[in-house]
Amino acid sequence: MSLNVSLLLDSQLALGEVKPALDVIVADPRLRDRYTVYGLVGDVLRGNSTPDDGFSTRIFERMRREGVRIEKDFDPSKDG
Amino acid sequence: MADTVQDAELVRLAQAGDAKAFEALVVKYQRRIARHVARYVKAAGDVEDVVQETFIRAYRGLASFRGDSAFYSWLYRIATNTALTHLQREPGEVLLGDDAPEERADAFEPGVSDAEDPERTLFAKQIAEAVQRALAKLQPELAEALMLYEVDGKPYAEIAGMLGIPIGTVRTRIFRAREFIARRLEPVLEPQRPRRW
Repeated sequence: MSLNVSLLLDSQLALGEVKPALDVIVADPRLRDRYTVYGLVGDVLRGNSTPDDGFSTRIFERMRREGVRIEKDFDPSKDG
Repeated sequence: MADTVQDAELVRLAQAGDAKAFEALVVKYQRRIARHVARYVKAAGDVEDVVQETFIRAYRGLASFRGDSAFYSWLYRIATNTALTHLQREPGEVLLGDDAPEERADAFEPGVSDAEDPERTLFAKQIAEAVQRALAKLQPELAEALMLYEVDGKPYAEIAGMLGIPIGTVRTRIFRAREFIARRLEPVLEPQRPRRW
């Protein structure tokens, strides 16, 4: 199944495979971690090393804390 | 093209209420967006704030994403606007045209508050060294496929043509290379595992 993590990261899954693969990955902490670590490996190989100390997690925590929702008429390209 | 199609599918899932689909996009693009923002914004803490704001604005405006362009291009534009807005509000910041914004961006590492945090800097160095050690032990054909993809930026199909192998073999070689390295990184990364997605 980790193969699908690698394929999802590289956009190699067929359209119909994306949702089933995503559901399996998000439900499994080990696979979710692999998704981050595989991306980290690529960054390190390109010379962008980082400890990845919860950068994305802090984004999700803030979104939950602020109750961020999709807004029908919000245009993100306008000045914030 | 593959990125465009699959990202559009993840956006479609997110628009339909699957927040995890959006999280997968955040994890995928967070560092690229951070490096872009660092071209405009100087302080590492401010970069993180702008990146957070970028993804929040993207999520709020997800309904307006029609798939006319690649998701990353759309995100990139939002990040640019968000960074410029930040600069207007922070007169102490350095605007574009600063001496070496490219170098500043290259030096930026998400979550690393520059040299003032030696522990994080050391940890990043340990990760880089562990990846290099693993790479040195990797089967050459696996390392070749991974480097062509990650460093040279070659698409899977082109790698298949260059190496004279089926694209399915490219997929498995890149996966096996990543997994080999990931396993050897586990002891180094374990302390921060609970903080990752």
